[in-house]
Amino acid sequence: LDPGCSFHVSSQASQKNQVPVEHPRAISRTSESDPAKHGEQHEGQHYSIPLQDLKMVFPHGLPPRFVMQVKTFGEACLMIRKPALELLHYLKNTNFAHPAVRYLLYGEKGTGKTLTLCHAIHFCAKHDWMILHIPDAHLWVKNCQELLPSTYNKQRFDQPLEASTWLKNFRTTNERFLSKIKVQEKYVWNKRESTEKGSPLGEVIEQGITRVRNATDAVGIVLKELKRQSSMGMFHLLVAVDGVNALWGRTTLKREDKSLIAPEELALVHNLRKMVKNDWHGGAVVLTLSQTGSLFKPRTAYLPHELLGKEGFDDLDPFLPILISNYNPKEFESSFQYYLENSWLQHEKAPTEEGKKELLFLSNSNPGQLERLCACL
Amino acid sequence: SMQRSARWPGGASRSDNPTTSALPPRTEKMDVNQDWPSVYPVAAPFKPSAVPLPIRMGYPVKKGVPMGKEGNLELVKIPNFLHLTPVAIKRHCEALKDFCTEWPAALDTDEKCEKHFPVEVDTSDYVSSGPSNRNPKARVVTLRVKLSSLNLDDHAKKKLIKLVGERYCKATDVLTIKTDRCPLKRQNYDYAMYLLTVLYHESWKTEEWEKNKTDADMDEYVWENSTSQRNAVQTLLRMQAAGQGQGERGSAEELLRTREVEGYQACVVRLKNEGENEVSLSQYKESVKRLLHLT
Repeated sequence: LDPGCSFHVSSQASQKNQVPVEHPRAISRTSESDPAKHGEQHEGQHYSIPLQDLKMVFPHGLPPRFVMQVKTFGEACLMIRKPALELLHYLKNTNFAHPAVRYLLYGEKGTGKTLTLCHAIHFCAKHDWMILHIPDAHLWVKNCQELLPSTYNKQRFDQPLEASTWLKNFRTTNERFLSKIKVQEKYVWNKRESTEKGSPLGEVIEQGITRVRNATDAVGIVLKELKRQSSMGMFHLLVAVDGVNALWGRTTLKREDKSLIAPEELALVHNLRKMVKNDWHGGAVVLTLSQTGSLFKPRTAYLPHELLGKEGFDDLDPFLPILISNYNPKEFESSFQYYLENSWLQHEKAPTEEGKKELLFLSNSNPGQLERLCACL
Repeated sequence: SMQRSARWPGGASRSDNPTTSALPPRTEKMDVNQDWPSVYPVAAPFKPSAVPLPIRMGYPVKKGVPMGKEGNLELVKIPNFLHLTPVAIKRHCEALKDFCTEWPAALDTDEKCEKHFPVEVDTSDYVSSGPSNRNPKARVVTLRVKLSSLNLDDHAKKKLIKLVGERYCKATDVLTIKTDRCPLKRQNYDYAMYLLTVLYHESWKTEEWEKNKTDADMDEYVWENSTSQRNAVQTLLRMQAAGQGQGERGSAEELLRTREVEGYQACVVRLKNEGENEVSLSQYKESVKRLLHLT
């Protein structure tokens, strides 16, 4: 495989139910594939996600390098790490009557924030929560080909392409809920089309996908309805946003007269900001900060204030920050064994102790860096 | 031509006779415990024959050492303080004592000096031999005062610091006013005292437009009436509304006084004022956990 970019942090799961007594296997893999049952004894080990689940739960959420790795190895394995276990513990003990708690995953580049988020999403999906996953909020504030004035509010702007892509992926993930949730208001799209009160949410999504002009408004409606109905207790809602610092940063989009657009003038961003507030209950909000893909932020920035800015921090306050750091020795060992087992390291010196020490030194236990190094071996 | 010595008629000195050899340098005759201030009583150029130190100065050639002191122009070019050894300075002080008055016995510690004389004025006088005894550098007056000795309240102190800008040192709490815009020293001194008076009185006044101070102008983060406080109170009120019937229903003020909220307030203030680091973020995390009653 070509050395692409993959976030190494991801999972390693071994679902082989063969001899668990084999030593390398025992370190790096576990056969427990239900995230709810992951505990401290599984720390450092990889568990795998069945590929059908993968297609359904993560049509758009996984980091690109990890997707390539899954394709190569034929299996999707996530490493069970302490921050993820902590987050799962909080999610398991969520009080659905209280306002949604916001958990913010932060850490340096390449330490595993996106994959920890994916671990949490897999847990919630397995427990029948509704998943609202925005894979990368930065995609909504830059490189937009079409920008239309919003049909709903003249001051804002629509992004039909991004909205329709997201709606398609949302439909894939939450297919089973769409017929059960009914909208509670009538929505008029234009002179000829409208959605009646009481019709399933799936219709709104279809409307958004087929009529691309209305896609952004469809997204807004979906978010509003989900927020309202999750507060009524009909289902649990997980809002997962990767790169949430994009919502309060700057954009590179310009109007026709070449003046810059502020993020709040984009309808998608405006609606998403309302979603991550804690004025609803019945679920949880998990966010990650991401410098990769952020605009106008230095490469070394990773702390909440640096990436979110004052406005973002005040909007999210009070939230629970969870730090994700580099691998500890046990996790590094496990990751190394995983690569060896999958015959990914072809260099003859790689399996030796010296090779391992060299990799440890070169990557400084940073998961992303380790993955890139191993891709070349 | 005849070389007559200037000292006495008919006499000749050693230097008139070309065949006399060079005398040994004076350093050979110097005793270790000699009186050095008499060798260099005033500022004089460096004389290698009068300084008994084996000094080397200069950039060495390849595989060489710096040049010695004999005939070394580098040592002559630089200023030397051979006339200001501690012994010499002690003698100067002894001589100057006759012109000084006694230090007041009551002011024996620094704190007492500061308490009774909080304002310190530095001036400099210059003496040189020349056609005139005026020196333009003598008009500079520096006034130093500690803000803790001035009667300022919180608003006045912040306003004063904003007014003076660079002249205030936060580490030592000293305000330094240096004036030299007038031609005479006494005029500059009067101007400096005038500046201090004006600053003091102006900082106590509150103007109309000071009410428009926004969050961005604040020096440090204030938690009251901030978005953080509002968010926390709203969240707690919603949590309370959710758990209806259990426990007393408190109003916003009562919520603000609970221990969790106070701990949260302290953590947020610390985070914003001191900046973020692992310690302050982990404390913030703990306080949020307690606030939201998470396990």
